[in-house]
Amino acid sequence: MSRVSDSETTAPDSDTIPRGYYGVPVIHRPHWKWLVIAYFFFGGIAGATAAIGGIARLMGGRRNASIARVAAYLSLATLIPCPPLLILDLRRPGRFLNMLRVVNPTSPMSIGSWGLAVFGAITTASALLQALADMPGRERDGDDTLARAQRALAPLSAGGGFFIAGYTGVILSATAVPLWSKRPALLAPLFLASAMASGSASITLAAAIIGDGARGAERVHDLEAMASVAEAVLLFAWIASLGSTAKPLLEGRDGTVVRHGVVGAGTLAPLVAAAMSRSRRGRARRALTIVGSAAALVGGFALRYVVIAGGHASADDPQATFDITG
Amino acid sequence: MAMEATTAYGFLTDATLCIGCKACEVACKQWNQLPADDGPDGPCALTGFSYDNTVDLGATTWRHVAFIERREPGGIAWLMLSDVCKHCVHAGCLDACPTGAIVRTEFDTVVIQDDICNGCGYCVPACPFGVPQIDHADGGSHKCTLCYDRLLGGLMPACAKACPTESIRFGVVDELREAGRERVAALRAEGRSDIHFYGGEELGGTGGIAGLNAMFILNAPPDAFNLPARPRLPRANIRPAALAALAASAGFLIAAAMTFRGES
Ligand code: SF4
Ligand code: SF4
Repeated sequence: MSRVSDSETTAPDSDTIPRGYYGVPVIHRPHWKWLVIAYFFFGGIAGATAAIGGIARLMGGRRNASIARVAAYLSLATLIPCPPLLILDLRRPGRFLNMLRVVNPTSPMSIGSWGLAVFGAITTASALLQALADMPGRERDGDDTLARAQRALAPLSAGGGFFIAGYTGVILSATAVPLWSKRPALLAPLFLASAMASGSASITLAAAIIGDGARGAERVHDLEAMASVAEAVLLFAWIASLGSTAKPLLEGRDGTVVRHGVVGAGTLAPLVAAAMSRSRRGRARRALTIVGSAAALVGGFALRYVVIAGGHASADDPQATFDITG
Repeated sequence: MAMEATTAYGFLTDATLCIGCKACEVACKQWNQLPADDGPDGPCALTGFSYDNTVDLGATTWRHVAFIERREPGGIAWLMLSDVCKHCVHAGCLDACPTGAIVRTEFDTVVIQDDICNGCGYCVPACPFGVPQIDHADGGSHKCTLCYDRLLGGLMPACAKACPTESIRFGVVDELREAGRERVAALRAEGRSDIHFYGGEELGGTGGIAGLNAMFILNAPPDAFNLPARPRLPRANIRPAALAALAASAGFLIAAAMTFRGES
């Protein structure tokens, strides 16, 4: 018989009983790593570019049409790696179609899978329409049916794009991982803002590389700046509101990635590059755009990485779980 | 003993009766044909955590006996508890599963259908108690089934059958809950402090979980056994996260529309 079950002995004294069990994690961390980080990154861009392109198309005009054109292609290009990344991350990849076996409204992953399937169709259609519109000889005859179809698709691209850019933050929020679940109303918008920053950066980057063909994309610079400022503000608010739960984001290698990757490359570098490029023209301006946009993309990837890696550290820390379940 | 469908069955596991014999762990492994665990140092490594070399619930361990050693004036005293899946009234794992692999059975238990699970891993962090885990050998997520197959055949779960002290009791949830609360009251009346009923809506079954069908009587604070005192149902975060993302989307929609305005 254990001594404590003997009523002769003194009752267990909570002071002598350690909080936690030999440091063993209270909850289990998910296996999600690089494939999911890469999916969050590419999916975020695919969603954000679709949203930006859809809105640009709806606003009308030649320069906006050129933004929508780049966005339509970029969205499909960044969406193509997504299904393979997600399927390879499954521990039983051959059963990926089971994702569409049921609709589970309490599972953001279930709703997200259906959303991704629908979004895939929208994005493919929108890139195809763009390719039709770009066929030689089309520009001059002004095909009304095609233009009307593109405009009809635009709101779907915008809505679906925002959904894809944002639902991944909801997936992480709906877990028991302290870092992901403590402030759901900040993590999800942070993911969305980061996707918008990466999405607009990829449009300005593509426009800078292809040059003349996408002059309108210059306007996306302002959106990019707004999104990176929003991302930085949300990141600070999120970290500040997490209290001790933010520990994995502040210490060690992941802390370095937050400071230099997310804030340095993701927010500061693009803003500095944008400020510098204002007074410049031609090649110098184009080079600054390329550097700034590339840095923003590095920052977007760093954010996805650090949220996943920090979530693992947070799940492994029993104290972090006790702090939110005390 | 025939189990009736649509009746909620569960466990009441009593730490004050546990002698740490691990008959439940062994019976579970045998009935469910679970392999030995691989520790960080290979199979069946010694941990140095008192008599616990199992460490945690996982893909191949569905009952886990925890041992806590305390130095007392007369020597060493142990706290022991056999942990298990809680078969939550509102289960985070079931909420999260995108394939429908996880179902609620006619016995109100929570079971993973192995032939459906695609190893997405979402149920793993969605369980507030750290129960299911992906098995690296077969890629599927696994946990206690409350011996669904035995219940169908009118047998009680293997662990409860094997327990020599009735520390693990199997039965109808309502009756077990009543028995558990009575036992806690009786132990407290004996003058024992630090006795807790874990699995009601005050402790363990909190935050939208609405109670546990596998309940516990604890003789130390829950976190000594690595049980969270007041866990939350992860699903509760969907609404705030989705609404905040929607609001942010509306903000970006307006920002983008303003930026793209005024076209020549
Ligand atoms: S304890 Fe975890 S695995 Fe068991 S039913 Fe509850 S949420 Fe699911
Ligand atoms: S790992 Fe299997 S059981 Fe768990 S959520 Fe994914 S499909 Fe469902």
